Amino acid sequence: MNRVQFGEGACEKTRKYLDSYISNELLIETNHEVLRHVERCSACAGELETRTQLRTRLKAAVNAQSVPPELQARIREKIRAGHSSSWSTAGWFAAGWPRWPVAMAASLVICAGVWLNYPPEKMPAITDRPGQSAYIQRVSATLAAVLKVGLGDHIHCSIFRKYPKDPPSVEKMEADLGVSYKGLLPVVRAAVPDGYRVIMAHHCSYAGRSFIHLTFEKNGELLSLVVGRRKEGESPAGLAPALETSGVPVYQSAADRYQVAGFEAGDFLAYVVSDLKRKANLQIASTLAPAVREFLLKVQA
Amino acid sequence: MSHRGKRLNPMLFSKKPRTDEFEAAALPHMNDIYRTAVRLLGAGSGADDVVQDVYLQAWKSFSQFELGTNCRAWLFKILFHTLHHYRRKWLNVRMVKDGEDILEQTAASGPPLPEQITDEEMLAALTEVPQDFRAVVLLIDVEEFSYKDAAGILNVPIGTVMSRLSRGRRLLREQLVDLAQSYGIGRIHQGGKSA
Repeated sequence: MNRVQFGEGACEKTRKYLDSYISNELLIETNHEVLRHVERCSACAGELETRTQLRTRLKAAVNAQSVPPELQARIREKIRAGHSSSWSTAGWFAAGWPRWPVAMAASLVICAGVWLNYPPEKMPAITDRPGQSAYIQRVSATLAAVLKVGLGDHIHCSIFRKYPKDPPSVEKMEADLGVSYKGLLPVVRAAVPDGYRVIMAHHCSYAGRSFIHLTFEKNGELLSLVVGRRKEGESPAGLAPALETSGVPVYQSAADRYQVAGFEAGDFLAYVVSDLKRKANLQIASTLAPAVREFLLKVQA
Repeated sequence: MSHRGKRLNPMLFSKKPRTDEFEAAALPHMNDIYRTAVRLLGAGSGADDVVQDVYLQAWKSFSQFELGTNCRAWLFKILFHTLHHYRRKWLNVRMVKDGEDILEQTAASGPPLPEQITDEEMLAALTEVPQDFRAVVLLIDVEEFSYKDAAGILNVPIGTVMSRLSRGRRLLREQLVDLAQSYGIGRIHQGGKSA
């Protein structure tokens, strides 16, 4: 991420950063510099529109490509059979090699290659608290302070804690949330997209602050709703809202592979954090915001 | 040599991932993996086989995968590794070198975008963008990976991702203009207004 102060030669500087602006890779402050300039400069605004349109149309064109309907079934079949694909081995088999030693050697080569080349992302161990803190600090370094709160608790609680294989019952989760907050669970469950299942709902604390934390899972992807009481003067209002269509301004920024969306609800700050795509996370946050805000305002009253 | 007394490590078996877990985590990304493979190899150039191989390799190392980490980025990393070997073996690929002055070039306005272009024309123009630039454009603009994730997937520095992205977007734009002119499409989009 880059931060720049625009001044002399603002058009040139703006255009140099337009690509990173479109990719949502600038610091919030630099984003604002770009936005401020574009609002005043029609030439740069036109250039931004053209570049944004190119990206949108490219994405639409690529995603219009149909996928062979039988491909998924073929992959499932191969995984379950444990066979290697035809293109990588057909030549060897056709050359008259005995099949089983070649297949065994190929498997060993593939396994060794995978081990060496695709190590999964290394995360601190569950017992490595200093490593976890360092990781959270590192990935949230570029975030606005008000958004760091939600990301920190999401990583601390959803990523670095292990869940039982089978989630607790809804009744148990509601009991863990307590009388005041148990009603939050059905409110959120009704608003998250289909396919997400709640795997954790509880009170937790991170960095000296207490939170209500709900975690959902879908196909291995985690999504958190983190709610905490705001400290004095703490507000995302200084940031530019990413979406306001629900009537509740939602502020969002990316940090490492995470998307962090936040919104205000009276004395509370609420966050939707995931490693979904930017638009998906923002859409979920925007959908959740009115219902969650209404619930929290009732709690506050 | 007797093996009596030796014990197999039970973790080798207890850590073995289950097929249904792998399928639930990895298969939702198959369409994105396939479309990227097609755009890099060309339709009918074995993208189906590459995607199957990607999933087979991912399955074999899935025991190392940690729930909650970025499965999608991990699959794309395997895809690009597979494509690298596949292209070297089967295809004649134009390689490019990144220019040092690329970021400077992005300060200038690019050519205006043709107003009337179809998906097919957009994809045809994309095909003309050299592979290394095309790969970054696909990862950032279509798949919406962060610069950092894209750098990890391609195993290049973030600065290289940035320069290839800028250059790739610009080349795509130039290709579209060339294509539109060759089709006799005269109308162009200039800063939100039709010329």
